[in-house]
Amino acid sequence: MMGKGKPSQKSASSFSLKGTFIAVMLLGVFILASWFGAYALFIAR
Amino acid sequence: MSTKQLTFSKQESTLYMVFMHVTFVSLLIGGLMGLLQTLVRSGKYTLPFNIDYYTILTVHGVILGLVLTTFFIIGFQFSLLGKTVGISKKQLRAAWLSFWVMLVGTVMAAITILIGEASVLFTFYAPLQAHPAFYFGLAFVIIGSWIAAITNFRQLYVWKKANKGQKSPLLAFMVTINMAMWVIASLGVATAVLIQFIPWSLGYAETINVLLTRTLFWYFGHPLVYFWLLPAYMAWYAIIPKIIGGKLFSDSLARLAFILLLMFSIPVGFHHQLTEPGIDPTWKFIQVVLTFMVIIPSLMTAFSIFATFEITGRRKGYRGVFGWFRKLPWKDVRFLAPFIGMLAFIPGGAGGIINASHQMNSLIHNTIWVTGHFHLTAATTVILTFFGIAYWLIPHLTGRTLTAKLNRLGILQTIIWTVGMTIMSTSMHIQGLLGGPRRSNFSEYAGGEQVATWINYQLAQAIGGSILFIGIILMVYIFIQLAFFAPRGHEEYPIAEEESDALPTPKVLENWYLWVGLTIALILFAYTIPVIDIIKHSPPGSVPFSWPIGRS
Repeated sequence: MMGKGKPSQKSASSFSLKGTFIAVMLLGVFILASWFGAYALFIAR
Repeated sequence: MSTKQLTFSKQESTLYMVFMHVTFVSLLIGGLMGLLQTLVRSGKYTLPFNIDYYTILTVHGVILGLVLTTFFIIGFQFSLLGKTVGISKKQLRAAWLSFWVMLVGTVMAAITILIGEASVLFTFYAPLQAHPAFYFGLAFVIIGSWIAAITNFRQLYVWKKANKGQKSPLLAFMVTINMAMWVIASLGVATAVLIQFIPWSLGYAETINVLLTRTLFWYFGHPLVYFWLLPAYMAWYAIIPKIIGGKLFSDSLARLAFILLLMFSIPVGFHHQLTEPGIDPTWKFIQVVLTFMVIIPSLMTAFSIFATFEITGRRKGYRGVFGWFRKLPWKDVRFLAPFIGMLAFIPGGAGGIINASHQMNSLIHNTIWVTGHFHLTAATTVILTFFGIAYWLIPHLTGRTLTAKLNRLGILQTIIWTVGMTIMSTSMHIQGLLGGPRRSNFSEYAGGEQVATWINYQLAQAIGGSILFIGIILMVYIFIQLAFFAPRGHEEYPIAEEESDALPTPKVLENWYLWVGLTIALILFAYTIPVIDIIKHSPPGSVPFSWPIGRS
């Protein structure tokens, strides 16, 4: 299990979501790269 | 979200478990058929006893795509409602009725397929014709699922009446959305089965409007994949946070995502028919745009999951941009299996966007890329999440526990599945881009340069398929252990709680008239004109073909 001492009781909105932001952006980049890859193949054929 | 959890009675647990028994028997049968398919397509193996390739292909698709999924989902959803809003004795009897009607239908369809009288694949496209018992069987499965849906609606209604003014528990809301979508969507396939296929298969109607059957099938067929996916989303939103020691990220966001999925999962069936002649390209384009709207709730879900992980990790003191990620409970199979499922949904979703991109669909249409795609989405994202649920649901229902040893076996199962599926699905995607066809039996197509490039990928699929079958045997073993032999005890039914300072959920999100009304309006907009056009301007209908596959 995840755990490192007692969890903080701080409000969820007080934490940075930098990692989430980067992860979602990377997800977007992956989707776009896959789409343009398929598009290039489509155009080439 | 109401955090009060109800306790299951013995009768309830038995009901939910019978659905699980059908699920895992289906997994074994359907999985074996999948293995045989990949072996046949490797060109190195011939089926014994004159068994037809298309018979096993139909068994595979129907048993895994329709039977396993529907039984697991309905059983799991009954348990979610039993836990959150409860079930009365009368509702319990109705739930049993739904089970038996579905089972009778399944057995009817299964027998007709197994004796070679319904080798029509799971899409049962006309003019391929099956024995009438196959279509009656399908009709029973659908009717049984409607009984389940009505029971579910009633369960929430009774709870709402007893808890006036309170918002419904999130999981009960989600189940209701999924079943509303299922009922609205299955009306299409039920219409095709009852009005078109059954009279035609009995010989009362000489011909059948092929395009209309296919349109009605895909009106149902696309929401069908969301019917599989939404229970996985239920687990991701409301169960995984509890397993990792966190809280629900946002009740409102989760409800809004489900509402958007209800609205945009149905009026989109034309993206499965993009190469179909007889449908006006304008309406195909409109449905492509509506399909792309589904990306919004999907990305909302991705954001919500990452945020849950990050907040949970940060609350526990983990620092750095991705410190929280490294510390997720990787050794807990209840988390690991659904997590791999989430991961598979990234290439699965990206592939789905490519498939639905109108003209670009011609790049992959009817190629084995599509098979690779839905083995990522359905057979990895959905199935691994279902396995992840089974690891705690089965012992919870049987009064047993997930031991450390079974947890380790579960992790091994997840790894085997990941390796097997990576090999199989990747080779399917690549072979598809090289033009390799889906559905068909092994063939060298009288030689040819392009065909020669396919065989190594088909061999890879046989290797991946064999590894997956080992995973299936292991999963069935784990199921038997959890159902009958694991030590007695109490396994938690993990439902996440809301943050203590969460903002209240807007009441409008529970306005069923509004959301179901908008869903119906969108369906009428997307389908009315093209369907009238299909009925008025179709070419003459087709007589049945029971050869070369179908009933031969």
